[in-house]
Amino acid sequence: MSALADILRADFLLRDALIGSVLLGLVCPLVGVYFLLRRMIFLGVALPQLSAAGIGLAFLLYSELIGRHEHGVEGERLLALAGAFAITMVGLVTLAALERGGRVMVEARIGTVFAIASAATMLFVAVDPFGEAEMVNLLKGDIIATTRSSLGLLTTVLAMVTGLLFAFRKELLLVSFDREMAIVLGKRAELWDALLYLLIGLTISLGVMNAGPLVTFGFLVVPPLTARLITRRMLTFSLAASALGGSTAFLGFWAAYGLDLPLGPTEVALSGLGLLMVAFVRWAIVWMRAPARE
Amino acid sequence: MLVALDDVALGYDGRPVLEHVSFDIEPGEFVALLGPNGAGKTTLFRGMLGLIPVLSGRITYGFDRRLEPPGYVPQKETLDPIFPLTVAEVVVMGTYARLAPLRPVGRRERALATTCLDRVGLAHLAGHAFWTLSGGQRQRVLIARALAAEPTLLLLDEPTAGIDAGAEAGIMDLISRLNRERGLTVILVSHHLRAVRSLVGTVIWVEDGIVTRGSTAELLAPERLAAVFGGMAIKR
Repeated sequence: MSALADILRADFLLRDALIGSVLLGLVCPLVGVYFLLRRMIFLGVALPQLSAAGIGLAFLLYSELIGRHEHGVEGERLLALAGAFAITMVGLVTLAALERGGRVMVEARIGTVFAIASAATMLFVAVDPFGEAEMVNLLKGDIIATTRSSLGLLTTVLAMVTGLLFAFRKELLLVSFDREMAIVLGKRAELWDALLYLLIGLTISLGVMNAGPLVTFGFLVVPPLTARLITRRMLTFSLAASALGGSTAFLGFWAAYGLDLPLGPTEVALSGLGLLMVAFVRWAIVWMRAPARE
Repeated sequence: MLVALDDVALGYDGRPVLEHVSFDIEPGEFVALLGPNGAGKTTLFRGMLGLIPVLSGRITYGFDRRLEPPGYVPQKETLDPIFPLTVAEVVVMGTYARLAPLRPVGRRERALATTCLDRVGLAHLAGHAFWTLSGGQRQRVLIARALAAEPTLLLLDEPTAGIDAGAEAGIMDLISRLNRERGLTVILVSHHLRAVRSLVGTVIWVEDGIVTRGSTAELLAPERLAAVFGGMAIKR
């Protein structure tokens, strides 16, 4: 319990990291809900990796065109965010467009993107004459390294993403659930798709930069999957997914701090454990109710 | 006239499936879009809905489509059961037509959704999960959703596909009542000639790229069905 008391202290050394982690836990599932509903879960694997490749590419281009970049300064984070966001958006829009074409298996395309993005990330860092260990932290995401200014950026962007997701909830839901109906009702489906992709791109870019591809993917997918098992309304589904992600992030931070474990894997493992527990309880309830019906 | 097609060509990727299509639909008509599979009736239906672009010619509506969009009932199989939605949530989507972005669903929209559900006889199921309903009930919910758009024109894509005979009769009776009692113009796609024969007044027959408009008695007469349609592209 002393670990809990420690992390709740106002002067806790890693307070910014804790807040950043919980913020990502709260917001990634709100975006992830649409990944799940639009059956784009595999994209949740490929896009964070593309985002990491974008960071590597941005640094490489900066080194080649301008010169050495400073580590640990605000400009470095903005450069990383720009690279991550640009490549994520290119990947997302391309994959979504190809999906409409539907000529090649979706899994094959996404798997290829994942493999190429992983390789490209490593190559970009290797080729970059100024590629150093500190840069690798940005690529794999290190939430512990969250600073006051990076937390400010994270909070601002994630607040904007959340606000837009809720403000345009009915349009995003209609376009996702019944695109043709949306068009018949006069809604600009491609515009709402573009907004959703923008919000997805921003969330993933920030998530990867701050917490890495593994945690971002984990929070995008696992809390919504868990929430889907226990909710039957759209609003409660989104809120439950967010609450599960936020509480898992907090509990994961507590466990990682108290047991001296790596933060990202602890959070994702806890999230997975939550999914298994909910699935088991749900199965048990169904199983217990089954004989009563007969 | 409520809808008028004037020398319209419709198709995909710039290649026409139907050409030189011209016919009018008058307010209050009950029209069935019939024809063999793959004949192009879905293409014509999607063109009238504005889901595919008109390659040439012109479709004119006797109402402002932006202010008064048509009611659309898709085939229920096109919707994904992964969405956690209650019956009321599905129906209220119809009201989004008149709700600007940032305007939340309010009391008026909820009341309208309840009225529409009542009209299809399912008001008591408003709080139920949409996917737990039977096929026939789901189809009624989708009709209620279309009615929530407060349309003057209702378009239904195979409304009785994949449901049992009892539910099929009930749905056809509901659509027929909406046409008779509320003056709603109805266009439905179907391949169940028997189900529509006694209900609709007008048939648009699509076969081999040729669109023929006529009365039910004329186009669904047994001897006519046996014959091969050809000649003129359009018959008024």
